[in-house]
Amino acid sequence: MPQSNSPRPRRPLQGVRVIDLTKIVAGPNATRMLATMGAEVIRVEWHDQRALDLLRGVRPLVAGGDGDNLNRSGLFNNINPGKYGVTLNMALPQGRDLFKQLIAKSTVLCENYSPGQMDRWELGYSELRKINPRLIYLQITGMGKSGTYDNYVSVGPTAQALSGLTHMSGFPEPMPPAGWGYSYLDHSTGYYGAILVLAALFRMKRTGLGCYLDASQTETGIMLSGTAALEAQLTGKATTRYGNRMHSADWAPHGAYPCRGTDEWITIAVQNDDQWRALGDVLGAPDWTRDPRFANASGRKANEDELDRLLAGATRLRDRYDLMDRLQSRKVPAGVVQKSSDRAERDPQLKHRGYFVQLPHSEIGSWPVEGFPARFSNLTADVGGLPGRAAPVMGEDNDYVYREILGLSSEEIARLKEDWII
Amino acid sequence: MTTDALLTSALEGTVVEVGGEHGEFAALLLGSLGAEVIKLEGRAGSNSRRLGPFTTPDADPEHSLFFSRYNLGKKSVSLEVAHPASRVPFDRIASHADVIIDSGDRDGVAARLGLYRMLQAANPRLIICTITPFGLDGPWCDLKMTDLTHLAMGGVMASCGYDPTPEGVYDTAPIAPGTWQAYHIAGEYAVISITAALNLRELTGEGAFIDLSIHEAVSTCTEVALPTYLYNGAVVQRQTGRHAAESRTRPWLRRTRDGRYVKAFLFWGGHERRVITEMLNEAGVDHDLETDSYKELVKRSPSEANSHFNHMIDRLAASMDAEELYHRAQAKGLLWASVRYPEENLEDPHFQARGAFQPFDHPELGRPLYYPVSVATDGKNRVTAFDRGAPRLGEHNFEILTRFGFTEAEVDAFKTAGVI
Repeated sequence: MPQSNSPRPRRPLQGVRVIDLTKIVAGPNATRMLATMGAEVIRVEWHDQRALDLLRGVRPLVAGGDGDNLNRSGLFNNINPGKYGVTLNMALPQGRDLFKQLIAKSTVLCENYSPGQMDRWELGYSELRKINPRLIYLQITGMGKSGTYDNYVSVGPTAQALSGLTHMSGFPEPMPPAGWGYSYLDHSTGYYGAILVLAALFRMKRTGLGCYLDASQTETGIMLSGTAALEAQLTGKATTRYGNRMHSADWAPHGAYPCRGTDEWITIAVQNDDQWRALGDVLGAPDWTRDPRFANASGRKANEDELDRLLAGATRLRDRYDLMDRLQSRKVPAGVVQKSSDRAERDPQLKHRGYFVQLPHSEIGSWPVEGFPARFSNLTADVGGLPGRAAPVMGEDNDYVYREILGLSSEEIARLKEDWII
Repeated sequence: MTTDALLTSALEGTVVEVGGEHGEFAALLLGSLGAEVIKLEGRAGSNSRRLGPFTTPDADPEHSLFFSRYNLGKKSVSLEVAHPASRVPFDRIASHADVIIDSGDRDGVAARLGLYRMLQAANPRLIICTITPFGLDGPWCDLKMTDLTHLAMGGVMASCGYDPTPEGVYDTAPIAPGTWQAYHIAGEYAVISITAALNLRELTGEGAFIDLSIHEAVSTCTEVALPTYLYNGAVVQRQTGRHAAESRTRPWLRRTRDGRYVKAFLFWGGHERRVITEMLNEAGVDHDLETDSYKELVKRSPSEANSHFNHMIDRLAASMDAEELYHRAQAKGLLWASVRYPEENLEDPHFQARGAFQPFDHPELGRPLYYPVSVATDGKNRVTAFDRGAPRLGEHNFEILTRFGFTEAEVDAFKTAGVI
């Protein structure tokens, strides 16, 4: 360690520069994690259809602005805090030259263009490693670039369907799959992408080697399909759905039950006889809770349809949080189906832990951003990252990046702007 | 590690896994990146050994696929961490560790915090990660939780389920998509935290203490739900097989000729409309999308025209099997996919070529089973893998304890005393 009086570093990725060519949610979630851990993440964006991050225009939007609305999406702001932003026209050779100069001075490249786009620009890994041999290049695509699907295209829902996750969610046939009500695999693949880069950075520190990582959203979904594919190999039977029931154990009741109010629900998961007796007590010991068919786990599991019907009748008039408190005081696992409004306004735990982080944005003011779900000693993990702010507006850091990192003069920067390159 | 995959030597070092099933996925991922994972699971074995499916009819804890899925490549020591006499072997194993993962209800984990403080004082390089339902403090920190209740409280379920009735009334429950997703999400965040701490340790020589909350982890994983409320004050409404939204959107799931589904994701753009019309023509499906009357309808009532177009997509889907429609749609550049069963990907040459699955022997079956082990390649081969399957309970007692200086006689004495 060099001798100096500077404070001990606390950001794990101090000195790591990440060029972020990602869009929508999966790639940007990966770079969000890297920014939280202290990397200098630079988003590279442009105004045309191919390069523009469509998320910049996605609802919810903050009212006002000049009409193009590129800097007013709440979703974009939540997914991209802590990052720097530049504009760069990659469709022009001069733009690609600047991009290569950035790569020469960076540690990591993350991109999620459709497979093949970077090769068409002659910016694939084999080209870029000539410029920067230690480069860690993470590419995220729906199915994965290598293999037999290289022209296939995907968004989160596509990958969820192919992986099996859509099929596995919901009530059994004849009900259709419920699937996921959002792009779960945009989140998960982002987390995986961050893990792969963090592991590759650790390896690079030890060995000096860079690498190319071709991550697949669909494979992430397959990885998250639990034991389904194994069970199918074992039994020869196709994977089916189980609603909210516990397929792997005799836990019953195990589901979501209606409560007082409109579309209010509580989940209850009884894992043993003690919890079953406590549930009966909390409900005021109605006769059916003493039905001998429900006296033990296998009986409850065998009569789960009837059990669910009776329990739903008993929860229907209860207040959901009050019932949760009463069940929890008897150590019965129970949790309210919290809506976004509940988590934002009511959830005392998220408040206590400082889950929402208020961050300034250069155009729309200060907004709460979802935080990182762990507290650390010795280590700074903050979603505002190095710039200490929410998402960048288009081209917000052109001056910083082109002047201070690439060493261009004001005249050169002005000319690049005029030539529609930055 | 003998397995030859790009990142399987990335994290050389030792991870000690203590506690419940909440941390098993995190330790599994660290193992897939090359760490040696020593699992201290107690004499009764991990809870997940009692979760099915089982490969034998007797529900033998040695034959749980649930356990084997989440414990590939690990080494099992049946050390009873709560036994007073376990302190000496525990300290010795832990003092050689790079990372300790401890998970479960807060009270159980909190009982070991004093011990961890002492271990970290003796070994400042040690990284400790606790994974508990709500973190180590706060008004809800002692609530009893499961995967289901976490997906409820964290907001996932409020976005997943089925359309309401035409009158706008929800008559079906919100859905917790299976399985173990709360622990998957928490595990991914734990590994992000731990690998970040390993990187920091390269700079400072010091480890870190990480207090991870499963509830917060799940909460971060609901995409547009919180921003929609925070910015617009609106609560997204769940819908069948597609994104929850502020207002109703058109369906994505289409029933195909073979009784399966295709997810026909659409932006409703001009290119998509053109190629869907082409596909109807190619499949010989009767339609009127090229007639003057349809073109007039588009002008007169775009919304009625969309409903009609939507109906034609149903017709297209009903004319062929899901896999055929998937490949035909992709050939036209549509973002569509067959709604597969997870196991159907085992037969797909694409995922075979990428090495997404790795076989592990199951002597009780006389054949191997193929496990998902990797989500990425290096351009050709998978980047993560395991060099063996899941351990039998206490399989590595002798190997690990003798490695850390205990004699054979001492290991036997631990056994007799009920320490292992």
